[in-house]
Amino acid sequence: MFPYEEASWSVVDGAMFMGWGSSLPGITTLIAAIICVLVLVIGQKSEAAKARAFKK
Amino acid sequence: MEEQLAELAAKIADLEAAGGGAVVTNTMFAETFYYLTIPLMIIIHAGFLAYEMGASRLKNVLSSGVKNLLAFAFMIPTFYFFGWWVYWGFPTGLPGAPGPAGISGVEYANSIAWGWGESAQYMGPNIADQASGVFFGAFAMFAATTASIMSGAVIERIQTVGFIILAVVLGSFAWVVAAAWGWHADGWLVTQFGVHDFGAAGLVHAVAGFFALGVLINLGPRIGKFNPDGTANHIPGHNMPLTVVGLMLIIVGFWGFLMACVIVPGEAWSWFGDKPSTIYGTPITLSALSFNILMAIAGGIIGAWLFTRDPFWMMSGALAGIISTASGLDIYFPALAFIIAFSAGVILKPCADWLENRGIDDAVGAVTVHGTIGLYGVVMLGIWGSGYPALQGAAGEVPTISLMGQIIGALVFFLCGFVPGYIVSLILKVLGMLRVPEGAELAGMDIVKVPASGYPEWGGDAPVTPAHPAE
Repeated sequence: MFPYEEASWSVVDGAMFMGWGSSLPGITTLIAAIICVLVLVIGQKSEAAKARAFKK
Repeated sequence: MEEQLAELAAKIADLEAAGGGAVVTNTMFAETFYYLTIPLMIIIHAGFLAYEMGASRLKNVLSSGVKNLLAFAFMIPTFYFFGWWVYWGFPTGLPGAPGPAGISGVEYANSIAWGWGESAQYMGPNIADQASGVFFGAFAMFAATTASIMSGAVIERIQTVGFIILAVVLGSFAWVVAAAWGWHADGWLVTQFGVHDFGAAGLVHAVAGFFALGVLINLGPRIGKFNPDGTANHIPGHNMPLTVVGLMLIIVGFWGFLMACVIVPGEAWSWFGDKPSTIYGTPITLSALSFNILMAIAGGIIGAWLFTRDPFWMMSGALAGIISTASGLDIYFPALAFIIAFSAGVILKPCADWLENRGIDDAVGAVTVHGTIGLYGVVMLGIWGSGYPALQGAAGEVPTISLMGQIIGALVFFLCGFVPGYIVSLILKVLGMLRVPEGAELAGMDIVKVPASGYPEWGGDAPVTPAHPAE
């Protein structure tokens, strides 16, 4: 996963994170965003179900 | 001509003076950088104090505080007496031979880390040394953090002096050995296996978490924690809001903890003249930490909320988020850090329940949050970070991070914690110094140990209820 051809820090003068130069940053950003939305959807469903039990 | 030469000489003198000023400024910056990490890390202890006292019942609240304060206080002098020496003396293992970077070995440690003889010049005020004291201070705070991690797990039934002995063994010896081996440019785990643990997920958190597990096995559960059929009860602390705020304070202090893991540039002892580095000499920026720590906190909270909805576990999830990414906070991409932290938040409560169902009474989930998640973080970096150079140097000459290397590191960190925790607590148990008598535990530790009352006008404890009512 080292984003440079030579496994040495001496060749690094810019971005040094995992996946730099590949599609990984974009994919992980998309997954993270999907997680946020999914958690909110699940949270809303379960909280609404519990709240219904207290409906007068 | 002479006039021009004189003008030139004056300009050179000005430049030299300015250069000297820059050197002084950089040295002051470096000293101030580490100096500021110390109060930030003390906030961790304010957090542990609040969290532990909040998680205690009314009858034990002050004794939990006393225990926590004493652990902090004993850690400083014992780390001064010998912990600092252990760190510099044994990176290459026994018998303490010097390593390739030239900053390790018993002889080196003897020359800089004892509080007597020639070495004492680096262990006290010295106008020519603006680094040793602040480095020592930061490391002493790491040591105190390990003791506080163990402290929460054992509340409400441990003897004070027995606990302090355990805290000293953990904070001034066990984790220091792990740090020498895996958090030093000459450490054998680093030079031979490419172990990378930038933010100490394994060598601080996992060591402390599994040290606590070793102690808990010998200490046993609190009275009333388990029913005769083996099912567990939830023993509520007296103040959940205090516990949650304490956890948030720990998060604040983490910024200082992780800041102290950075080596600033431009000093004689720096890895680089122009850029900061990790303790391994690999590059890092504070911006990297800002991106990744924030994303990890968020991921951990969201992951824990998904299945628990409980603020205690959500803030524990924040801690788990940081710890699960700590090994690679220097090189993770922020969204990846978020995903790893989210997964840690999700698995946190099931891991804690698993342990509880095996008869372990960890009052605050420290074994899981710090131990299990710490090892999870070390191994995660092996999965995602394989191929990264683990040290500064030419390609092919330095080890690279690998899954196998990280697993070996995780195993060593586990053993560095669990083995001394189990053995020393067993010795204390045999000597009758581990657990308070049953009557004292039932009466409450405050009435036995503390000549003060936490809430003199309040009533009794909240009721004890089944820990897993759905089961």
